[in-house]
Amino acid sequence: MKNEAIVSEFYDKLESRGVTRRDFMKLCGAIAAAAGISQLTANEVAYAVEQSIIGASEGNLYPVIWMEGASCTGCTESFAQIDAPDAATVVLEMISLNYSETLGAGAGWSFEEAREQTIAAGNYIFVYEGAVLQGWEGQALRVANEPGRDHLAHTAEHANAVVALGSCAVNGGWMAAHPNPSEAMGVSQYLQKVGIDTTVINVPGCPANPEWLEAVLVDVLMLELKRLDLTKDNKPALIFGQTIHDNCQRRGHFENGEFVYEYGTEEEVKGYCLYPLGCRGPQTKANCGITRWNRRRSWCIESGAPCIGCTTANPKNSNENWVQTNTPFHKRHRMLRLGNFTFQPTTIALSVTGLLAAALVIHGFGMKLTGRMDGGADFEKVRKWDEKHPDRAIGAYVSPAALEDKAAKEGNEESKGGKA
Amino acid sequence: MAHLAHYREAHPLPFVITHWVNLICMILLIISGINIHFPFLPAFEGVTRGIHMFCAFVIVINCIVRIVLAFVVKSAPTGGTRKMETDIKSWLPQADNRHQAGAWVKYYLFLKKDHPLSAKLGVPQKITYLLIPFLIIFMAYTGFCLWAPTMDAPLCVAGLNLVGGAMTMRIIHYFMMYVFICFMFIHVYLANVEGLSASKLMLLRQEHGGLVYDPETHAIVGEDALDETH
Repeated sequence: MKNEAIVSEFYDKLESRGVTRRDFMKLCGAIAAAAGISQLTANEVAYAVEQSIIGASEGNLYPVIWMEGASCTGCTESFAQIDAPDAATVVLEMISLNYSETLGAGAGWSFEEAREQTIAAGNYIFVYEGAVLQGWEGQALRVANEPGRDHLAHTAEHANAVVALGSCAVNGGWMAAHPNPSEAMGVSQYLQKVGIDTTVINVPGCPANPEWLEAVLVDVLMLELKRLDLTKDNKPALIFGQTIHDNCQRRGHFENGEFVYEYGTEEEVKGYCLYPLGCRGPQTKANCGITRWNRRRSWCIESGAPCIGCTTANPKNSNENWVQTNTPFHKRHRMLRLGNFTFQPTTIALSVTGLLAAALVIHGFGMKLTGRMDGGADFEKVRKWDEKHPDRAIGAYVSPAALEDKAAKEGNEESKGGKA
Repeated sequence: MAHLAHYREAHPLPFVITHWVNLICMILLIISGINIHFPFLPAFEGVTRGIHMFCAFVIVINCIVRIVLAFVVKSAPTGGTRKMETDIKSWLPQADNRHQAGAWVKYYLFLKKDHPLSAKLGVPQKITYLLIPFLIIFMAYTGFCLWAPTMDAPLCVAGLNLVGGAMTMRIIHYFMMYVFICFMFIHVYLANVEGLSASKLMLLRQEHGGLVYDPETHAIVGEDALDETH
C-alpha cells in the first residue's frame, strides 16, 4: 500500500543522527525501567522498537490514533517535552500517527478520512486525551459534525487497546469537578456504559508524564497486553503502584520532622518537607519523583511546590476526580460541600466539639443549681412505667416505710452492739 | 446519700486493666493523630507515627480481649450489690434498663426531679458502650486504609473505593477522632458530675458506700454506709 508509513534502515537513521547502537541500547534499558520491567530485557525492547511500534526498520509502523476529547491539550504539550527520543522523532518516524488534531499535519475532511481508513484497517492503538462529555445529548463536544462521544465509541470499538491519557480521560478530571454541567466522565466508564469492552489502560496525571505513555506503548507492543502488570483500575502498576511520598526526595526531612510551614521562610530555602502546606504525596500514587518532568530536569516537589495529587483518578467514579478530591491544595483536607455551602472538616468538627463542651458546662451549672452534684438527686421510689403498669412491673419494690423500719432496726442493733 | 454503693464487684480487676489500657491508648492516639494530621510538634513526628500505630494495635487487641472477657468474667449486674453474673448480661440491655430511656433523658434535661432507677449503666450510657467496640474496630479499619503497609490490601482497597478515595477516608478517620473526643467528654462528665466515687472505683478500686440494690427484685432494698465504717 502506498499510504503505509515506512522508515529506512533503522540503525542508519540513528547513526545519521549521531546516535550509536550503544546509546540506543541505553535508551531501551531506560524504557524497560520506566515500563517496570528488568533492564535485562533491554534487548527485547530494542527488538520490539526496531520491529514495529516505535521504529520498524522496514514494513508497517504501528498505527496510532490520538484523539482529543474535552481537553486542554496539556498532555500533548507534555508529550512534546519528551527527549529520548524527541516528540518529532516519535511522531514522524517511530509510530504512524495517522490522526491527531494537535500534532497531525492534515485537517478537515481528508484528515477524518485518514482516521476512518485506519479504523477500517484495524490493528491500531487509540490514545484518547480529555474527558468524555455527555451533556446536552453529547453536543457539549462536537467534532466533524458528530458528537465527540460517538467518535470515541466508534474508534475505541476496533482498537487493539485504548490509552486513556491524562486524568480527564481517566475519570473526567477537572472537567468532572462540581458542578460538572457538561456531565464529563472518563473513557472506561463511558465505554462500559455503551457496551464496548476494548481494554482501556489508564494513565492519569495533569498532564500525564510522556515517559509513562512511551512505557505503555512499549508494554502494549512487547507484552501484547497479556503480561501487563496493571492495578485493579487498569493503571500500570509500576508507575501508579506506589505513592509520591514513597519515592520523594524530601522524604528524609519528613522523617526528621523538618517541615516548611510557610513560603518565604528559611525552611523553604533548605528544601524541607512540604507536608504542612497540604502536600498530597502520601495519598497520591505515581512515580513522578523517579521519572521527573521536562526532560527529567525537575518535578513539582523539587521545584518547591507540594504535590496537588493530579494523578488521583478513580476510573469507576468521576466524582473522585483530582480537583474535587484535593482542593484547596494548601489545606490538609479537601472542602466538604452541603448544597452551595462549602467548609473544611476541621471547622465543623471543632464547632460540634466546642458546642458539646459548652453544653456540658452549662449542664454542669444546671446540675449544681439543682443540687445534684453531691451524689445526684434522690432515686425514684418506683419506676414511672411500673407505676402505670403494675401488672407488668419490672421491680418488686419495698415500701418506703418498710425501708425506714429496716434502717431503724439496723441502727438500733449497731448502737446496742456499740454499747456492748 | 442518693447514689448506689460502689463495690469492686461492679468492675473486676481485668476490666479495670482493660479500661486503663483504653484510656491511655485513646489519649495517645488522639494526641499523636493530631500531630500526624498537622505536625505541631515536628521534632516528634517520627516517634508520633510509631506511637500511633502501636496504640492502634494495642487498642484493637484490648477491645477484642475485653469482648472475650465479657463472656468469661463475672461482674455485678448493677451498682449497690456484690452479687455477680457473667459480664455480657449487664453489657447488653438488661431488665433494669427496660422502659427507662425516657426517664433518663428527662432527668438529664431537668424535666424529672428524681433519679431514675438504674441498671449497671443508664440507657444512654449502655447504648454508647455497645457502640464503642464497633467504633474502635471501624476507626482502626479507616486507619489501616491510610497506612502504607496495609492500604493495598483488598479489604482496604474495597473500602477506599466505596467511600471515594484516600482523602475521604482521611476525613472519616479525622471525624471519628472527634467522635471519640466527644465520647470522652460525655463519659468523663457523666461519670463524675454527681461525685467522683464512680471514677475512684473504676480507676483506683476504691469502694464507696450507698444504697443497696437487689438485682433480683430490681429495686433498692437498703443502705450500706461503707465509707463511714472504714
